[in-house]
Amino acid sequence: MPRSIAIVEDEPLIRANYVEALARLGYEVRGYGARGEAEAAFSQRLPELVIIDIGLGDEPEGGFELCRSLRAKSPTLPIIFLTARDSDFDVISGLRLGADDYLAKDVSLHQLAARISALFRRMEALRKPVAADNVIAHGPLKIETERMRVTWNGIDVPLTVTEFWMVHTLVRFPGHVKNRDQLMRDAQVVVDDATITSHVKRIRKKFIAVDAAFDAIDTVHGAGYRWKP
Amino acid sequence: MSLRLKLLLVALSTLALPWAGWQFVRQTEALLREGQEQALLASAGTLAKAFAAADVVWPAVPVLYLHRLAQPMAVDGYADDWTELRAYAQSLGPPQDAQKLRVLLGENTGGLYLLAEVRDATRTRVDARDPRAAQSDHLMLTLARGADTRRYLLASAAPGAFEAHAEAADSALPERLAGAWQEDGSGYRVELRIPDAPRPDRIGIAAFDAAAPGPDRPEPRALLAYDVRAARSLGALVPDHARARVVDTDAWLIADAGELQAPASASRETDGWFGNLVYHSMIAPVLTGSAALAGAAPRIDAAEVWQALSGVAATSWRAGETRGEVVLTAAVPLRTEGEVRGALVLEQANRALPLLANRALFGLAGATLAALVVSGLILLAFGASLSFRIRRLRNAAERAVRTSGRLHGPMPLADAEDELGDLARSFGKLFDEVGAYTEYLRSLASKLSHELNTPLAIVKSSLDNLDHQALPADARAYAARARDGAERLGKIVRAMSEAGRIERAIASAEAEDFDLTALVAGCAEGYRALADGRELRVRLPAAPISFHGAPELVAQALDKLFDNARSFAPADGWIELSLAQSDASAEIRVANSGPLLPVTMQDRLFDSLVSVRGAVARNAGETPHLGLGLYVVRLVAELHRGSATARNMADGRGVEFGLRLSGMPRRRLSEVRTDA
Repeated sequence: MPRSIAIVEDEPLIRANYVEALARLGYEVRGYGARGEAEAAFSQRLPELVIIDIGLGDEPEGGFELCRSLRAKSPTLPIIFLTARDSDFDVISGLRLGADDYLAKDVSLHQLAARISALFRRMEALRKPVAADNVIAHGPLKIETERMRVTWNGIDVPLTVTEFWMVHTLVRFPGHVKNRDQLMRDAQVVVDDATITSHVKRIRKKFIAVDAAFDAIDTVHGAGYRWKP
Repeated sequence: MSLRLKLLLVALSTLALPWAGWQFVRQTEALLREGQEQALLASAGTLAKAFAAADVVWPAVPVLYLHRLAQPMAVDGYADDWTELRAYAQSLGPPQDAQKLRVLLGENTGGLYLLAEVRDATRTRVDARDPRAAQSDHLMLTLARGADTRRYLLASAAPGAFEAHAEAADSALPERLAGAWQEDGSGYRVELRIPDAPRPDRIGIAAFDAAAPGPDRPEPRALLAYDVRAARSLGALVPDHARARVVDTDAWLIADAGELQAPASASRETDGWFGNLVYHSMIAPVLTGSAALAGAAPRIDAAEVWQALSGVAATSWRAGETRGEVVLTAAVPLRTEGEVRGALVLEQANRALPLLANRALFGLAGATLAALVVSGLILLAFGASLSFRIRRLRNAAERAVRTSGRLHGPMPLADAEDELGDLARSFGKLFDEVGAYTEYLRSLASKLSHELNTPLAIVKSSLDNLDHQALPADARAYAARARDGAERLGKIVRAMSEAGRIERAIASAEAEDFDLTALVAGCAEGYRALADGRELRVRLPAAPISFHGAPELVAQALDKLFDNARSFAPADGWIELSLAQSDASAEIRVANSGPLLPVTMQDRLFDSLVSVRGAVARNAGETPHLGLGLYVVRLVAELHRGSATARNMADGRGVEFGLRLSGMPRRRLSEVRTDA
């Protein structure tokens, strides 16, 4: 059965493009142009994944509101934020809305598709018990690759898909320096260096929130980042 | 010329005050002097009238003055005992040579004494008894008393005592006169004693020179002597501290009374330099009085006296005996029955600086000077304050210009109520406008980019979809070109919003301690790969530099500087990267060979959206340079309390960019936000 995806985007042309592209990939896609419309539909039937545009029409905070109400209905529903402004990334992260990922609007459809499939895979993995060979343990860090779940000293660290893939890349070869290009490739995003830097900053912040003494991510200026062995 | 200097020059105009004061003082001084002269003249006039009323016998002119002799006289023919009076000898020679015979007549308790000096180079010596005496050199003396006249022939063949016999006549006057005769090469001298009783009232004397014969009948002249009685009555009339003298028509002293004495009050004070100045400038020029008036002389040969004797009163000032004393003289004619018989000379001594004795006027001078100084100081202070305020305004304006209209805090003087306040407010408005416009320009790029994002997303997503459609081969080519265009558009949009992103990143940058040397070294390693054939020289200190700042931002700034250097250095050129620590800050320099910076641009390079790349050829497909890189560098420098500079190297080898960093301020623990 095809998965159902909902897209909430007020710009009709972009919405149409996304709906058609995702439909081509085999998903069952519905598009909504406004928050009220979307909430009415969700109250009847929840989709399996929601993509939300932050600035919805007249409400600049409309996307956040929608996310909150969705989370109230289902804590595990995968939510992806789309935004035209990079500044929103920090806002989203700070708000801890529990979004599974946030992407810039100029992300290619190919990358968006990769995200979506990853998220569905994760949902599947979360339903199954943990497979031992899919866990990478490194000191206090434990990565469950299928579930895309990271724990530090046993405490769950809520990372988005992008962030998870970055940490995964770093931890796979601890001590190796990964430059920004590599991180970008593995995270399946094409962004500029400054965005990578802010992603890493947000990753650090999330780890520090769990453990104030966290300093496992080393910045090697001019080269990239590495996970301290 | 600065405002202060101009105000000082204006203040100099208040010098008119002391100048006016000085003129006033001079005028007052002159008036005071004139007043004194008038007063003394009036006194003298009154005195003259009172004196003329007293009985004074005015002999007919010409007279023979009878001097008062102080000591006993030795009749020896030598003029030693006559020395003080020699100057007053009367010339009684013949009309063509009056100086030939000079006569002095004196009186003391012993009687009358006569000294006659004759200038006669050719001597014909003969005794008086000699019958040839009348043709030889001799003196003829006539004594007269009332109607009684007697003549004596004075002659001597040799020096020494002689006797003069009167010509035969019956008379009460003495028969014989004893005298002494002396002579030298230029003439002869006769000293004679004339007994007091009976006292002659007229005496005449004439000299007969054998070489130039002429009449020898002298006209007797009346005797004029110092009149003690007149002096007493004068003494009763003369005012205090003044001296009066009465002279006859030939300026011979008849009587005198009183004493010149300056008022005792302040004679010994020294006036100091100010007094000297005033004396020299105001008093001295006026002291034109005749010196002959000084002292006690039997004859006062002074211009004032002659003027008075001609009928016109005269006044004069002269310097007194002591320093600081001046004497005022008033000479008035003495008339009886309308005729001028003599003159009265009244003198008064004063302090030289009557003005200074007037304390009030001196105080006025001091007050004027004080007022001048005070007003000068006030004007200077006001000028200084004015110029200070204007300079404050100017400095604020220059600061605002430098920061493109962004001022920290309000414009100074904005709340002043005068014209400067108006000016400041106008400046404030002007800078607000400039600031708003600059702000608009800066945000234009990010606003535009923000707006462009949505249509760009439409284009890209549409192209993505297009890729999955079945297209003929040529259509694919167009789709590919469209995608290329969209990519470039995307880069431009990203570049435009970069400034905004950087500012946000800088605003939220968190500082940490890191090793600056390691950071620069790491970056340098990365740049080696990018140098692309150009020589890369790296100079780093051996020791690590501990630095408190935002490392990723510093690295970004370095990236921009390197990127800049690489763009401008020619393919065979060099790029130099150096790090040095100096006192409290670290200095990173990136230099490259290549074209120099235009001088006008050097200050503006670090402003937003400034690009000098027009001259450098741009490769096809490259994004246009928006001039934001150096702006980022400057923002990073300012965040770290440092500065960014650009200059052409002194020897013209190339361009050097400097980044000076002092380190971000450490935030207090209470300021650190914890994400709740």
